Amino acid sequence: MTPFEVGIMMTGVLLVLVVIGVRVAFAAAFTGLVGLIVLFSMKMGFERGFFVALKMAGTIPHSKSVTYALSVLPTFILIGFLAFYAGFTKQLFEAAKRWLGWLPGGMAVGTVFSTAGFAAVSGASVATAAVFARVAIPEMLAAGYSKRLSSAVVAAGGTLASLIPPSAILVIYAILVEQSVGKLLIAGFLPGVFSALVYVGIIVAVASWRGDAPAVKGFTWKERFESVPGTLPIIAVVAIIFCSFFFGLATPTEAGSLGAFVVLVVAFAKGMRTRQLGQALHETAKLTVMIFTLIWGVLVYVRFLGFAGLPEAFKDFIVALEFSPWIVMICILLAYAVLGMFMDAIGMLILTLPVVYPAVMALNGGEGVSAADSAFGMSGEACAIWFGILVVKMAELCLITPPIGLNCFVVSGVRPDIPVQEVFRGCVPFFVADVLTIGGLLAFPSIITILPQLMG
Amino acid sequence: ATETFAADVTWNVSLWGKRRAFTEHIEKLAEEVSARTDGKFEIKLHYGGALSKSRENLDGISFGAFEMAQFCASYHADKNPSLTVLELPFLGVSDLETEVKVSKALYDHPAVQADLARWNAKLLMPSPMPQYNFAGKGDVPQSISDFDGMRVRALGGLGKLMEAVGAVPTSVTASETYQSIDSGTVQAAGFAPHAHLSFKVVEVADWWTKNLNPGTVHCPVVVNVDAYNELPDDMKAALDASVDPAIAHYLDTYAKVYDKWWPELESRGVTQVEFSDEELAAFAEKAGPIHAAWIEEQSANGLPAQELLDMVKKTIAE
Amino acid sequence: MMTIDPGGRSASERPVTFIRFDGWLGQVENAFNLFAAFSILALMLLAVAQVVGRLLFNMPVPGFIDITEQAMAIFAFAGVAYCQRVGGHIRMEIVLGKLSGRTLYVCEMLGVILIAFTVALLIWGSWFHFDRSWGIGDSTMDIRLPTWPSKLIIPAALGLLFLRLLMQIYGYGRLVANPGRDPVAVPMIENVEDHARHEIEDALGADAVAGSDDGNGAGTGEGDAK
Ligand code: NA
Ligand code: NA
Repeated sequence: MTPFEVGIMMTGVLLVLVVIGVRVAFAAAFTGLVGLIVLFSMKMGFERGFFVALKMAGTIPHSKSVTYALSVLPTFILIGFLAFYAGFTKQLFEAAKRWLGWLPGGMAVGTVFSTAGFAAVSGASVATAAVFARVAIPEMLAAGYSKRLSSAVVAAGGTLASLIPPSAILVIYAILVEQSVGKLLIAGFLPGVFSALVYVGIIVAVASWRGDAPAVKGFTWKERFESVPGTLPIIAVVAIIFCSFFFGLATPTEAGSLGAFVVLVVAFAKGMRTRQLGQALHETAKLTVMIFTLIWGVLVYVRFLGFAGLPEAFKDFIVALEFSPWIVMICILLAYAVLGMFMDAIGMLILTLPVVYPAVMALNGGEGVSAADSAFGMSGEACAIWFGILVVKMAELCLITPPIGLNCFVVSGVRPDIPVQEVFRGCVPFFVADVLTIGGLLAFPSIITILPQLMG
Repeated sequence: ATETFAADVTWNVSLWGKRRAFTEHIEKLAEEVSARTDGKFEIKLHYGGALSKSRENLDGISFGAFEMAQFCASYHADKNPSLTVLELPFLGVSDLETEVKVSKALYDHPAVQADLARWNAKLLMPSPMPQYNFAGKGDVPQSISDFDGMRVRALGGLGKLMEAVGAVPTSVTASETYQSIDSGTVQAAGFAPHAHLSFKVVEVADWWTKNLNPGTVHCPVVVNVDAYNELPDDMKAALDASVDPAIAHYLDTYAKVYDKWWPELESRGVTQVEFSDEELAAFAEKAGPIHAAWIEEQSANGLPAQELLDMVKKTIAE
Repeated sequence: MMTIDPGGRSASERPVTFIRFDGWLGQVENAFNLFAAFSILALMLLAVAQVVGRLLFNMPVPGFIDITEQAMAIFAFAGVAYCQRVGGHIRMEIVLGKLSGRTLYVCEMLGVILIAFTVALLIWGSWFHFDRSWGIGDSTMDIRLPTWPSKLIIPAALGLLFLRLLMQIYGYGRLVANPGRDPVAVPMIENVEDHARHEIEDALGADAVAGSDDGNGAGTGEGDAK
């Protein structure tokens, strides 16, 4: 057996283990460890090979976890858990309602904008949906909106959190593919806004046609301006995080920490108790260790792949395909959409990127390619950023599609009177909006790449 | 997999980053070894940290996960204390040829060999690095006092030197250096020219310390001792004989970095600061206590530190 | 901890020692996770000090990156056993969700045995990694912090995880023997509705969902986190 064949065989084992429900991090670590034992035993006999493999695998948990760039993750997660206690949601929604309520479907439009605003302090799509289901849905129902629209707009609006910085999933992407964390986070900003605008367009169109979302009028300019101060803390956090990245005033970890600190202070000012801080920290620690375990577990497997030479072989295979690079790219994105229906976004990304990413880069013409010589008309670095945003958008899409669109289940869970099928049905227009958005991002990559390019 | 042409012996090399001037001697080494053994001895280069993170390369060598690796002594001073002598500030190394000469002399020292033997490693060849001059933004420093209060990215011994002249060493990762200088998080960073180019420091810099030459880092290529000893005599001879051509090739390639470096400085209007002899002497004076502290610490660790430093200084002066 | 048997069985029919040991182990795991939580808070405050010190006083924290990196081992590992207890490590449940009774418990037990095998080998391997830095020497790049304390956290945290996995093997084992028993100290598979409920609790606090149980207790699963 050649190392390559061992690589293929163990990858098959990993797939089977993941599908039958072994926890992904450990399934990957197991596969990697056994693969390393096989490879080294082939080279130097089992007695020596076993220990070499053991020692090689044993370096990875520490080596790969203790990476400065990853230290931003818990700060982002903490911001998300504290944001609820800081009470940003109500003020944001109130302001959005007063300013945008007059549009057809105005409160739904306001919900989109306030979820987008909340996305700037929350890195977690599912949590955003949960928070807004409590705040926005009752008001929309009271204003005569249908259950279907008001629940769906919350589920869909929640998905913006992973694109608009801070976003844990974009940090993980950046580190896995060794690109600048700051650039990836900034790159998500415009696509997030773009997605929100497409949602708004769809809402206005659907509301005008169906008439199930009356406009809310009658707010005076005075009332509108009175709603602004309540949103100032969130604007401060957004400014800290955005400026830190965009102007390089602070590293991502520093920016995330500053943001978390501000949210913490606001949350205490709004009456958060120490017990609740403890709870938020406990949850942050749990989610953090889950992500880190996934990272090092999968990287044990990736180290084995490195010795087996598999990523290079897959890269050669993709590049040798006869199809146009655009067809290949769309197929890869569709594969992510299908995979995302059954797997959690972060797990899917960590598991697939080590093999898929080098292939995508090679497809474009290599890491150092110039825009002029490339297949997709962008430099290697721009392509890395563009692909990252697209993949995250695909993963987000799966949060509002059956069978396990978690955002829909969460909204329905917060509102026991709204069956989940109703939420899924309401999400159809938003699914269409997302497909349009992805088409837009494929056709106009500069929506993604322009801000990071401005950073230099 | 072209099994029919499979080599009798295959060595894996653990490298980080992409192929660049810094790795060209290993590329050349592989080529030479293959030619000298009719392809029977294959040296396979693995870039991008595929086999190990750079800071764990010595670990991987120690248990034989791969047969060859490159690393820098400053990544983990306490793994290789004897090599850090070449990272002391103001040793007076003026060019890469001298760097090669002094490295080879150091590698021949029994204390250095014993130091690396703890990792089951044998030093094969250096990857000579130019001096870590500073590039920075803002007021051009003319004298040693201009560094007072300046936030600089400078690690290890270089950081200590800058601290001694009043600068403030500030933690910044290499890839964040461009943004950090642009935004004023740090005002200057010390790198070799190729790194100033690849981390784009040169794009935001207003000045560069042309003749400060404060010191550099030492990055050897090592092999696993067992793997080396197990080589058949002809392959061992081929490997040993390939080192000099490999280094010669490296020096040629690195010279080309300067073909890009000087025009880049010119076209961007970067001021090339040349310090007067008195200023350089004032800098070098600050290095004295750092050398003394190194000797004291490493003597306590059981190294013949004074002897090593004297030998290094003598070789450089020759 | 559950002390009154819901089925009204006598103490001899309930795995009393097992439950007690599960409780003790749970306390240790909680303490480790608390340690991780505080390290996150400390990291945040250190980073704030770094920015404020640098911008206002030209006094950055010396070796900030070195300190942060070495401390990361705490929050990357200390909670790993806690996370396993509450079922927080992600997995795909499309196949498992279709199973029930003894088949489900056999599959769960085999999965945990596989994890325990992997973790045991990794404890061994990561101990070697610690041992090299302890015996030969290793330090960080900038301020030369020794790396062995940080490297020691890995075998320690994985050791705790291994104990938890042994508990779960026993926990599933007694269910394989008699699927009618009450599950103790094993995370139960949850459908997407339950999963959503736990997500809501995470986002809004445990009081957000009426009638929800304590999501952190042993014997209650939290499914996979997001
Ligand atoms: Na976000
Ligand atoms: Na419901």
